[in-house]
Amino acid sequence: MEDRVGMFPKNENPMIQIQNLSVCFGGTEAVKNVDLEIARGEILGVVGESGSGKSVTALTVMGLLSESGRITSGRVIFDKDVLIESGERLNRALYRRYQGQRMSMVFQEPMTSLNPTRRVGAQVEEMLMLHTELPRQQWREKVLESFVSVGLRDVEQLYNCYPHQLSGGMRQRVMIAMAVILHPDLIVADEPTTALDVTVQNQIIALLREINQKEHNAMLFITHDLNLARRLCHRIAVMKDGRVVETQSAKDIFENPREEYTRSLIQAVPTRVRCKARPGESATGTGSAVSGEIRRPVLEVHDLNVYYQEGTNSLFGRRKRRRVVSGADFVLYPGEVMGLVGESGCGKSSLSKAILGMNRNVEGEIRHFSTRPQMIFQDPYSSLNPSRTVGWLLQEPLRAAGRLDKSRQMSEADMRAAACDMLRRVGLDESCMNRKPSQLSGGQRQRISIGQALITRPGFVIADEPVSALDVTLQAQIMELMQRLQEELGVAYLFISHDINVVYRMSDRIMVMKDGEIVEQGDTEELFAHPREAYTKLLLQEDLE
Amino acid sequence: MTQDESRTKVYRLKGLKQRGNPYLWIGLFMTGTAVLMALVGFFWTPCSTTAMSAAERFCAPSPGHPFGTDNFGRDILSRVMKGAGSTIFISSLVVFFSGGLGIVIGALTGYFGGLLDEIVMRFTDAVNGFPSILLALVMISILGSGKKNLILSLGIVFTPSFVRIVRSEFIRLRDADYISRARLMGVGRLRILFVHILPNIFSTFWVSVMIGFNNGILAESGMSYLGIGVRPPDASLGEMLSDAQGYLLRAPWYALAPGLTIVWIVLGFSLLGEGIRQSSGEASDGR
Repeated sequence: MEDRVGMFPKNENPMIQIQNLSVCFGGTEAVKNVDLEIARGEILGVVGESGSGKSVTALTVMGLLSESGRITSGRVIFDKDVLIESGERLNRALYRRYQGQRMSMVFQEPMTSLNPTRRVGAQVEEMLMLHTELPRQQWREKVLESFVSVGLRDVEQLYNCYPHQLSGGMRQRVMIAMAVILHPDLIVADEPTTALDVTVQNQIIALLREINQKEHNAMLFITHDLNLARRLCHRIAVMKDGRVVETQSAKDIFENPREEYTRSLIQAVPTRVRCKARPGESATGTGSAVSGEIRRPVLEVHDLNVYYQEGTNSLFGRRKRRRVVSGADFVLYPGEVMGLVGESGCGKSSLSKAILGMNRNVEGEIRHFSTRPQMIFQDPYSSLNPSRTVGWLLQEPLRAAGRLDKSRQMSEADMRAAACDMLRRVGLDESCMNRKPSQLSGGQRQRISIGQALITRPGFVIADEPVSALDVTLQAQIMELMQRLQEELGVAYLFISHDINVVYRMSDRIMVMKDGEIVEQGDTEELFAHPREAYTKLLLQEDLE
Repeated sequence: MTQDESRTKVYRLKGLKQRGNPYLWIGLFMTGTAVLMALVGFFWTPCSTTAMSAAERFCAPSPGHPFGTDNFGRDILSRVMKGAGSTIFISSLVVFFSGGLGIVIGALTGYFGGLLDEIVMRFTDAVNGFPSILLALVMISILGSGKKNLILSLGIVFTPSFVRIVRSEFIRLRDADYISRARLMGVGRLRILFVHILPNIFSTFWVSVMIGFNNGILAESGMSYLGIGVRPPDASLGEMLSDAQGYLLRAPWYALAPGLTIVWIVLGFSLLGEGIRQSSGEASDGR
């Protein structure tokens, strides 16, 4: 962005200094000797994978560290006042003066960080009640003013709304209004956009930037998304295993990263640069080779409407039928990857459930030309049965298939061999066979999940946001694995994601979905180069630098 | 945020592991001794449980009769051993019966839902509306007293609580991603119910079994105390208490022995249940 300031003069008095901070949980150090400082008017991004200690750092600065955490070394200096000194008890009275008034925080989950039982106006007013001498009559006016300043509309009406009546983006704006209403000198934003859709994400980023410019305050922006940090922050600190590995200006860190880890993070970020060995090419290659023949699809969907029954909780209540997908129409060919992209709530998951027969409340035509298509879920923690071993989990699809179809029955030894083979294919070794999912990491679990889906060699697999819950480096590994397995086994994927860059990297063709309708579909390159629909353009443009 | 929270949780659990699991060990010790005593009591007791002796009425605890003797001069230790045996035996059968029935009904209603669920739940609401002992009393008065009928009626009265627990666990798990996947694989319904879901509810289920067992012991004692369970001359802890209350001042040891045994068993199983909950929580909390 043009307005981003390249460097900040070092000599300016820093708003907040974190010196040699270490935080301990039980016996393990979550934050190790962290040094950071943020100048007035500067946005510092702290980037790292989950567990790197970035959130703990933020919470410590805010004085919100949980009871089990202990500060073992260092201090936090806020505008020349020492707020935290290791070995000394946290001065809560001092902190209460600072929290909210001079430093405030925006959390990740706008759903849970607002009190669901109180009107949002009253919740923002609370800040004024606690920290200012402002007469009661002026509160409302002041709150409405702050709502306007964060880009909310119909503020009069909004004032009396409960959080559940607002969208995620609006809630996050309310949170930000609450954070800026007293014009604090420091705003700590802990993954403020992670729970939001891409288009909303960009609006929030723009808003934070605007606030920073207008108020000239210091901002600590915590994220796992390097791209996001680049767009917003002046400087970026990369954290790994509780340490700050590298701090540079946003521009420099991308152009010449000093540390190996930073480099790997940057490489893992899905971009629109095609990797050379993309199976897409090979697929089109084979596609042209067999172009003489008629390609038989593995899945045909014609004019599909999917409905949801609402209000089924009560015995006698009238049931409303809500259409969540309308007029879906596409085919999936063997060995190809079809990307499906759209924001949350647009009907992506409903479509996939309908295809797999998990929701039978449909109209239209779904034709499978494959036995038992499988699904890979987003959350690797809930998609494996926790009470079973990996070996059992991998063999269960074979057992089920054998029971349904006697001709596919396999002996115990064969099943074991097949499970071992699959375990190797997904990049794990045989020692995992007797482990339970709880003994595996998120990435390993997702590998097992993929193996479980592919072990019966289905014609196509639906992957519903398979990498969204993973860290960037893991994301890249899992995508690579899925591509390799696709080449080896010739399976077709319907690859669902909200992240257009991820879809771009994986897919041969792409469908764009909005409000239950597929607004555009086409060849990946074609669609990216010449998007027809306004919404597609918006999606593409939003994510471009 | 969630990451950090889960981290602290892991640390807390690790701390627990280092300290061991005192609930589990104390619970095991207490239940172990009680069960051992009862088991031995089935085959051998220091004195005959029925031999009366007019000369030895109301003897205070002594080396010959460690818990003293009762109003007929019978050895209380022997009778406590026998009585604990029959109390534990009855309570086990009650839990076995109601737990098994609870798993089957809870699994079916929880997983399939619908009209059957609605009917069964309203029925359990109705059963829960009455105090369990009262209900069992009503059933006994219909079926007639005696050990078999006691087990049957307590079993039926205890079933709803198991149904509720199993049902809610099945509802929680029936839409889990891994169950959806099992369905996609073509796994049969019964196999999903009892092979895929059931093992995941065991930690919760065992705790409720322990609680149910305790309730069984208390209910059995209570009913025998009221004279409609185990009949004399057979020994049961409740029946002994009932006899002892007439001599509370003259021979306090008579009431103390069966009373403390009940406390010992119930406390032991409560601790065991808590211990199981903690250790299984530790094992399944790998997140």
